[in-house]
Amino acid sequence: MAIWRYAWRNLWRNSRRSLITLAAVTLSTAVLMASYALMDGLFRHTVDNATNLVTGEVQVHAKGFLAERSLYQALADPAALLAAAQKAGLGAAARSFGYGLVSQGTKSAGALFWGVDPAAERQAFDLAKHLERGSFLAEKPDRGLVVGRKLAKSLGLDLGAEVVVVVQAADGSLGNDLYTVTGILKAAGEGLDRSAAFIHAADFQQLFVSGGRIHEVALNSRGRLPLDQVAALAGRAAPGEEVKTWRDLMPALADMVNLFDVSMALFGAIFFLAAGLGVMNTMLMSTYERIHEFGLLKALGTTPWRIVRDVCIEALLLGLAATAAGTLIGLAGTWYLQAIGLDISRLAGETTIAGVAFDPIWRAQFSLRAVVSSVATMWAICLLAALYPAAVAARLDPVRALNRV
Amino acid sequence: MKLERLGLILLLGLALTLPAGPVRAEEIKLSARDILDKVDDLYRGQASHGRMSMAITTAHWTRTLDLEFWSQGKDKSLVRILAPTKEKGTATLRVGSDLWNYLPKVKRVIKLPSSMMSASWMGSHFTNNDLVKESRMAEDYTFEVSFQGLRRGEDLIEVTCLPKPEAAVVWGKVLVEVRRSDYQPLLLNYFDEVMKPARTMTFAEYRTLGGRLLPAQMTIVPTDKPEEKTVVEYQTIEFEPELAPDVFSLRNLQR
Repeated sequence: MAIWRYAWRNLWRNSRRSLITLAAVTLSTAVLMASYALMDGLFRHTVDNATNLVTGEVQVHAKGFLAERSLYQALADPAALLAAAQKAGLGAAARSFGYGLVSQGTKSAGALFWGVDPAAERQAFDLAKHLERGSFLAEKPDRGLVVGRKLAKSLGLDLGAEVVVVVQAADGSLGNDLYTVTGILKAAGEGLDRSAAFIHAADFQQLFVSGGRIHEVALNSRGRLPLDQVAALAGRAAPGEEVKTWRDLMPALADMVNLFDVSMALFGAIFFLAAGLGVMNTMLMSTYERIHEFGLLKALGTTPWRIVRDVCIEALLLGLAATAAGTLIGLAGTWYLQAIGLDISRLAGETTIAGVAFDPIWRAQFSLRAVVSSVATMWAICLLAALYPAAVAARLDPVRALNRV
Repeated sequence: MKLERLGLILLLGLALTLPAGPVRAEEIKLSARDILDKVDDLYRGQASHGRMSMAITTAHWTRTLDLEFWSQGKDKSLVRILAPTKEKGTATLRVGSDLWNYLPKVKRVIKLPSSMMSASWMGSHFTNNDLVKESRMAEDYTFEVSFQGLRRGEDLIEVTCLPKPEAAVVWGKVLVEVRRSDYQPLLLNYFDEVMKPARTMTFAEYRTLGGRLLPAQMTIVPTDKPEEKTVVEYQTIEFEPELAPDVFSLRNLQR
């Protein structure tokens, strides 16, 4: 223990030098930690945005539905799946789909109608809050219509507009009715923007004579459960149906996240290296400053091994103190970035990435991984940075070292 | 006039101008162009009015529409649904390349966007596009007589039509079979751009309607769904009727 006490005392013999090194390591640790959390936040946020909006983490369809989107390819037992999801505390929404025409005045456009349960959508997804104007569908069917923004724009639709909808119903007849626009969605990806028309499930059933067919159940735990666990639950509750995770459903996003991962790892490595070199420089300088001192120690008969040990212990102590302080600052920074976030709206505006609406506030995401990897990196760097000068000091010729001023 | 229009022209009951009298010997040696023109002209008329049924069979439902139609020249037509009750009064008006639908349930007229032109008309195997195309086959396609003689027990002439590169047509190839005796159409075979068979239109029930011989029944079968079909059958046709001047107006559409 005496060795550690000596090392600690040694550090404070030149408090200014040690404090400078300490500050450098502390700051690097804190910045590493916060930027790591920011990167994590970006991933998490992008994926959450995509899944929470409307897609969900896992979707269940009848086999072949995604390829053909036929009105007749319905789930065999959506009720069982919804019940299982509810039991597991998972958000779940049942949806029906059908193509048709939305028309106002002399303008009309093709649309994909979504028959939804507004209460379930509100509870499990963010779409009901993702409105540019107006409000989402009422809980009771009232022939309200919520449309994508580009669809609204191309038809010149405003809130309260009365539109004619015409569809090919499931019995071959021409379903048609008057609907009232209650809401217009914010940017939510090209597909939704251009063609989505949301109506109440009961209205859908009447319009399409669909006999209660459900084409999709989307499950969303909002990140509480691991993806494979949600998928497994869906597979058990809906045997024979097609279960897909968001990675299958949004391959562009999955690819982007993977690419992101790689480029962030590269960026991270460079950043860690830069921070490490800075710390190493400080450590090197402080060791070289003490060459005279090491020469004296050697002249007094200190073994080279002992010098190496002492220098390394000093570096480690410094590293421990600095990373402790750095962790505190880093955590505070992470907390701030997570709670408040960075407003990048002025840089990015309202954007979509791979068809996913992107929040202009960039928020960090705390993870233990960020703390551990930052601290471990800094320790390794401190030690490495000390080893080289320690080796130099250990091999010093005492006479020449003492002659150095 | 384009081939896919043929059926719809029939459907819409454009006047027939059949050659009168027995077929003369020199007509048998008609060129492919003459045959196409003849088939085209067969359905080019002044005005018509009549009733027909349209029986649609799909994998999921079958239903029969009773229709009343009016047409004038090559670019004006009106079709109104008489039955079933749920859709009674629903009507489609075509003027030039524009299509309007009247929906009696909501008492509104909607104009079909161009994006819906390849969508089905009233759930049938006809597309909205079939209703509005108006070009001549001999202008859009290169053609040659590819077969003459007996086939399926019928003495026929087959003309193979390939679209000209600049022609705005959706088909990759069309085979036309006509009876050698009177050039009445027997069959039209449509192929898509990769030369896969897309749909077949067959004609039957050659009868005298409105004083003219024509195939009273026409069946269209999509090749990828051979169990599905749309059968159109004329009940009555009246050629060159007296039509009120506002028959093809939006006001009359909503009547």
